[in-house]
This record gives sequence, C-alpha cells and structure tokens, in this order.
Amino acid sequence: MAERARRIGTFRYVEVRLMETAAAWTPTTSEMEAKVMFGRHIWEFAQHADALGRRMLELRQAAQQSLPPAAGYVALLDEVLALDDTARRLAALYDALLPGLVLRYESYVRQADPIVDAPSLVIIERILVDARRQRADAEQLRHDLGLPAPAAGPLAQREGALELVAAPA
Amino acid sequence: MSGIGHFRLGHLTLRQPPARDSCFTVVLRDSEMHEHAGSDPRALRETVHRHMSNEITSLDIAAQCLAEFPDAPWELRLELARQCWDESRHVQVLHRRLRELGGHKGEFPISTFEWNVTCALDSLAGRLATQNRTFEAGAMDVVGSLAPAVRGGGDAQTAEVLDGILADEIHHVRFANRWIKAMVAQDRRVLLKVASAVRFLAEVNAALQSKEGEANAVGTVMPDPAQRVPAVNVEDRRLAEFDDDEIREVLRQAGFRSLLPEPPEPPDDRAEPA
Repeated sequence: MAERARRIGTFRYVEVRLMETAAAWTPTTSEMEAKVMFGRHIWEFAQHADALGRRMLELRQAAQQSLPPAAGYVALLDEVLALDDTARRLAALYDALLPGLVLRYESYVRQADPIVDAPSLVIIERILVDARRQRADAEQLRHDLGLPAPAAGPLAQREGALELVAAPA
Repeated sequence: MSGIGHFRLGHLTLRQPPARDSCFTVVLRDSEMHEHAGSDPRALRETVHRHMSNEITSLDIAAQCLAEFPDAPWELRLELARQCWDESRHVQVLHRRLRELGGHKGEFPISTFEWNVTCALDSLAGRLATQNRTFEAGAMDVVGSLAPAVRGGGDAQTAEVLDGILADEIHHVRFANRWIKAMVAQDRRVLLKVASAVRFLAEVNAALQSKEGEANAVGTVMPDPAQRVPAVNVEDRRLAEFDDDEIREVLRQAGFRSLLPEPPEPPDDRAEPA
C-alpha cells in the first residue's frame, strides 16, 4: 500500500509540473495554434493530477498530496521548463518526457494487482489515452506550422536513465 | 525561460505584452485600433478578430496565474486550468469564423491591454477581480448585446458562436466571485488587494482609452467613453453570482441601461390540467 501511494503521489507531482510547464509556456510562446494546444493540455494534465490526488486519499494519504520525485528527475523537469523555443519545447515535452512517463505508467499497470488496485488502473488507463493523443496533437501542430522536430533522443535517454520515485526518507 | 517584464506608463507599471505571432501588430491605445463604423463591411471581421485576440489574452492570463501562483488552493487551480481550455476553444472557434468571413489572423491591430493590467498585479485575488470579475463580466455585457444584434443583421452563425462563448464566460466570472468572497472571508486584507486592483485598472483605463471626438487609426470618431459602456447583462450577471448591490452599482455606471431578459414562454392553453 505504501509503495503504491508513493508511486501515485509521484505521478501526481509530475502531472502538476506538466500542467505548470504548459501554463508557463503559453504566454511566452508566439504561435497562436501552439497556445491553443497548450490550453487543452493544461486542463488534461490538471485532470490527471486531480484524479491521482483523489486516489491518494483512498490509499490512506492526504487528498491531493504530491510526492516529489528523485532529485535528478526534478532537475530534468526544471530544465525542460526553462526551454524557450517552440520547436525545442515540443520535442522535450512530447518526444522525451511524455513517452518516458507513458512507459512508467505502463510499468505500473503491469505490476499492479488488477483487482486490488483497479481504481488506480482505471485512472492510469485514461491518462494513457490522453497522453497518446497529446503526442499526436503535437505532431499535427508541427506539421501545420511547419516547425522542425529537433532530436529528442538524448533527452529521452536521460529521462529513461533516471529514477522517478524518490527513495523513502 | 525568459520571463515577461514590465514597462512604465507615466507613474503606472504595466506588464510587457505576452508573445504573439509576427503577423499581429500589437498596439497600446484604443485610438490605434481599427474599429470601423457599423456599416463598414470590415466592421464585423474586426469585431470577430478583436474577440479572438481577447480570448488569446484571456488564455495567457489564466495560464500565467497557474504558473505564478503555485500555492493557490488546488480547487481554484483546477478552475483556472479549465478556463485555459475554454479560452483556447474560444480562440479556435473565432478563428474559424474569422476565416469563414474572409478574414485572417493579423488582419487588424490588436491590444493586450487586459494582460498588461492584470498580470502587473501581484495578488491572485487582484487578478481575479480585474480579469474575471471586471473584463470577463464586461465581455458578458458586450456579447449579450452583440449576439442578438449580429443575429438581427442576418448572421446567425456568428451569433451562435458568441452565445456559446458567453455561456462559458459566465462560469469564469462565477468562480472568481466565489473565490474572492472565500478569500475575503478568510482574510479581510484581501479586500484591500481587490480595491487597489480595481483602482489601478481605472487609472490605466483613464490613461489609454480614447477621448470623446478623437478619431481612431481608420478615421472613426470615438464617442464619449461613458457612452461606450455597454448595456448591463443583468440576467447573466445574476447567474455569475453578482449580488443585487453589485448589479445596481454596475447599472449606475452604465446609466441604468440593461438588457431585458427574454420574456417567459406563454402557458400552453392546449395542455391538459394536471
């Protein structure tokens, strides 16, 4: 139970940070169509965080409690937030961070008890549907605006090599 | 990430504009806008373009509030996040309508006045008081008159778009009203923040709005600013949870002009008695 709560609370932290990242980028991004896409994704990240936060209460934690990830992962999130070019922002969020997060959610799904932890799985399955569509949205946006797709491989590799969940205190 | 700084306007400090596509010309004063006389064929396109631009600005403001107030209550942050999506849909639908009308983004100058003012404020209560409770509530009044006028002029499609947007805006105003009341109930000093935000807005407005008889960039002569206050959309302001005293005050400022609610449907005489 405690381990599940740690992972769910950490996922919540990441979803809040994704919401804040898309929000911080919105006024500093020139392209109207990119702002429009961020506007939808802000709401989706917020809903993910909210659902995970409600689940925390069911796992004997405070409702809407977030648990900070390992320090290296927090630093990566900070680094992505600091990007200021639209093409690089899209590559970092949609080609590196989100695919990595999807793998981590899928790993949770594989390891969870499908009956005992079904409420978590229902939430995560919905998040996965959104995450795949969000990546497709970003791809469509790049196509519509004729934006380049900078290589996200190195960032994705770094993401994959990092621990997400912080060690228990 | 480069932050967005501030600039001086006389003794006032405003926020620099948010980023915009290079096709847009961003202006500061009313008189620099291309508001055409009602009979001009460009007038409707400019109106749709202006609303689209204001929705981009509303999206920027709600997003900036999420980014700059990470310690706000989660339920309020959820409302702001939802507002981001609503405003982004408004941009999309107005952009679609603009293109259907033969226009394009960047066709007319735009202003980011609402951002310049709201995001210069350092409290979330102050921002909710200006952006949601003042600008968006004012937009409810404008759209409440505009949608029927556009429909009356034969453009049902634009009227439908505006009606849909109005329904969303009511909730943005309502949640701001609820949260400001809750914040004030918790800490009376918030009231000072709200009052100072409203005063700041009035000062900026006085500095930038066009004066009576002044011609704008396309030669349209602007009326007295007091005459430009739209009729009050009393019905929707009630839905947005303005109380009677607040509505009376807004009515006073508008010279007691209000939109009349739709009369109720007459009873159906053919119906069987219960």
